[in-house]
Amino acid sequence: MPSYNLYMGCSVPANYPNYEAAMLKVAKELGMELEYMEGVACCGSPNLRAIDFMGWLTVNARTIAIAEKNGHDIVTPCNGCFASLKDVYHHLKHDDAHKKQVNAVLKKEGLEFKGISKPRHFVEALYSDIGIEEIQKKITKPLDGVGIAIHYGCHVLRPKDVTEFSPEIYQELVKVTGATVIDYPLWKQCCGATVLPVNEELAIRLARDKLKSMTEAGAVFATVACPACGNQLDLQQLGLKESYGEEYNLPVLLYPQILGLAMGMDEDDVGLSMNRVPAGSIIEHLTE
Amino acid sequence: MTEADEKDGPPVVLVDPIDMSKLDSEFRNEIKSMPYGDELNACFACSTCTAACPIANVWTYKPHQLIRMIILGMREEVLSSDEIWLCLTCFQCQERCPQKVRVTDIFFDCKNLAAEESKIPETIVGLAKTLMEKGQLYEVTADWEREDMDLEPAVPGLSTNEFKDIIKATRTGKIVGGEE
Ligand code: SF4
Ligand code: SF4
Repeated sequence: MPSYNLYMGCSVPANYPNYEAAMLKVAKELGMELEYMEGVACCGSPNLRAIDFMGWLTVNARTIAIAEKNGHDIVTPCNGCFASLKDVYHHLKHDDAHKKQVNAVLKKEGLEFKGISKPRHFVEALYSDIGIEEIQKKITKPLDGVGIAIHYGCHVLRPKDVTEFSPEIYQELVKVTGATVIDYPLWKQCCGATVLPVNEELAIRLARDKLKSMTEAGAVFATVACPACGNQLDLQQLGLKESYGEEYNLPVLLYPQILGLAMGMDEDDVGLSMNRVPAGSIIEHLTE
Repeated sequence: MTEADEKDGPPVVLVDPIDMSKLDSEFRNEIKSMPYGDELNACFACSTCTAACPIANVWTYKPHQLIRMIILGMREEVLSSDEIWLCLTCFQCQERCPQKVRVTDIFFDCKNLAAEESKIPETIVGLAKTLMEKGQLYEVTADWEREDMDLEPAVPGLSTNEFKDIIKATRTGKIVGGEE
């Protein structure tokens, strides 16, 4: 049974307990052992990277160093945490001077960044370590081919030399549930979350463009694997009626919710009622 | 790009003559010496980065122009620009650059240089404060929602003091301290 250090970050636990719970439940069913990391805090987000590169390096190197005490990889359900951790991991593996500098600080806590425990996104670990074949065996209520648009999120897709993530991972994971993956023009585009603190109007426009592109291509549902992207695509829909006079009514599900349902869990197991745009209609697409 | 160029006026290829005496010829080296600046000089101004950028239409300086400005030494203009802070960090420009210029990463470097000179949008200073005071951007407020999902009300393993101590000693401490 593969074991992992579970790094939650701060957004999922505070804003998406349904995501956290659904992830833990599908992981358990599939034999992934996720253990909450001890003594960790926030990744700092791209905002910390922007204003305080050394601080950002150090806090994330610290998280990795804590994981290295047991040597298991780190998994996280958040694209932002994944990006910070993986970027720092990648950078420190290639920059000895910074590694020394960071380790001098970590030494005070008896920690050292070595570069053994790799930061990974939960969905990638699911795909690579459990595999589609094993997941397939657990699908008891496949979806009826309903069209789902995937919002991958910038920070898992790019920069690819750092993230080592490919879109096929997410596509295969959606297909195994019985759903159809909807190809839409703006699939690569940003949800706008990062610019929210500096220009809300622009952030809303980006979310709206994304939703428009998805629905016009025939998506019945959308899926994300990130709390920030979730916020943009799910929560922001509620305000679009006012700002754009447009209503999308496109339910946005966190990936483990879809997988959990297809594995036979019920809507309370995956916290469906917490999704902002009512997502209950996915139940109608489950077959026996 | 999803919407037509919203700006009035002359096409972006027409630029004002550059006053050479105002250029900081060291700026390019400064960026090149930073973690992601290696390929900066390889830029051949094709503007593919701008074509890939979903928000370049609302920018006065487009991504390819900012890279050009760095190479030319327009330090002040780049570091005082709103654009570097509006950047979504979506890496679409960087993914498509045929010359492997790490455009997005270089804008991160620029933000760090701007931050060193206290040129930071107010809202970002606010986030820095939150990070330093709370050790996280979001705190659990609705713990009943967690309990509804059979989760521990408080996040298991969370400890924020070490995080706060680290960033207090780096630039965040200066930024937030300088505010008070
Ligand atoms: S895409 Fe690359 S080479 Fe082309 S202008 Fe942008 S930075 Fe320069
Ligand atoms: S990373 Fe910034 S500059 Fe590059 S495409 Fe995205 S928004 Fe534009």
